[in-house]
Amino acid sequence: MRFIPYILYLFLLALYLTILRDITYICGAQIDLAVLMAALVALYKSEMTTFWFAVCIAIISGTPLLDLLPWEMIILVIPALIVNQISARINLESLTSRLILVAGYLLIHQAVLTLIVAGNDFFILLYKSILPTMVYSLVIGWLIFQILDGRITWKKTKALF
Amino acid sequence: MTWFSTIFLKNRRFVNFGLAAILFLLITFSPNVVRPLLGNICSSIFFYPFAELKYYIIELQDASRENRLLEKQLTEASLQLEILSEAKRENQRLREVIGFDPPENFRLIPVKIVTLYQNVYPIAAVINKGSRESIKINQPVINRFGLVGKIKEVMPDFATVTLLTDPMNAVSGRVAETREIGIVRFSPDKGMYFDNLPADSDIEPNHLVISSGLGGVYPAGLSLAIVDSVTASRGDILKTVYLKPTVNFFKIDELYVLTGGEQ
Repeated sequence: MRFIPYILYLFLLALYLTILRDITYICGAQIDLAVLMAALVALYKSEMTTFWFAVCIAIISGTPLLDLLPWEMIILVIPALIVNQISARINLESLTSRLILVAGYLLIHQAVLTLIVAGNDFFILLYKSILPTMVYSLVIGWLIFQILDGRITWKKTKALF
Repeated sequence: MTWFSTIFLKNRRFVNFGLAAILFLLITFSPNVVRPLLGNICSSIFFYPFAELKYYIIELQDASRENRLLEKQLTEASLQLEILSEAKRENQRLREVIGFDPPENFRLIPVKIVTLYQNVYPIAAVINKGSRESIKINQPVINRFGLVGKIKEVMPDFATVTLLTDPMNAVSGRVAETREIGIVRFSPDKGMYFDNLPADSDIEPNHLVISSGLGGVYPAGLSLAIVDSVTASRGDILKTVYLKPTVNFFKIDELYVLTGGEQ
């Protein structure tokens, strides 16, 4: 039964990659949901859970382009394990430290993936795609952390309107 | 099996990493077997349902867009059909008019009703032609069914027609079959009736009443009404004859002014 939430996360990722990515795409920037999910699990769950969840996330996000599957596994699983190890040594109460970890994870994933796919245009894509995607994903990550910390709640949101 | 579970539990971390490493190696070095198999499983379990959903949504959007477009086209087509139907009706009326011969020395000026003055019955109408089109007072106004009335007032571009349904407008009529003469009048309570017809008259229901030509306003022979009922009591001098106008005064639209007869 404890695997069900993770399976639902995988379905959510598939839903995002199939339908929601096109809807949420803004001027070259897209949400790197795979990294966000892997980072969230890495921050709050055990090493083994992080490891297998990152493997599954890598398989799901690598399925549309099977040639990249080994690379996806490397650049999703290894940083996830690093984030998991660091999270045990930092103050997780601090939003900034969590965001820095997520930002680093996002940057590694996006940068390496871009280097593999379009290495020659890396510096152009750095400004056009990598950094906007990182910022966009970080904003979403910040929102998720706010919700997890109870700073954004349904009641508060409703009170605004 | 005990030794296996002991090793697994003691070295759980390494076993997990080892399994993952084997999976990684299989994926990396078996691009034609493991990768497609894994891709196929993932696609069918995770992506296929959402892809179906996506195409369903796209189809719904397309259908909705197409529906709006077709609805617009249908509205345009309906409007076009209405216009064509009206043109067809007008064409039908004009065809019937072509077959209508105006009385000798008269010519027809086609006019359209601008507005009707209506109380219980329509009793007057304003038409869209006036003195500029040679319309004069007392000229007869007809449509394809018969006499409608006469010009009462003339303005440069408009004229007023007093209809036969105006109680003040009486016409000298003749029974086409018996050649008897009387006065066709209209009153709101009785409707159209034939006045001044002697009790020994041979008039019968369904006889046609036409204009007699007496009085000099209307030419002879214009259809006025059909005899609806005839009643005569013993000792009465005159017969009571109720008529049904040949013209439906509630549905008049295109009229013709007869001109030239006065010359």
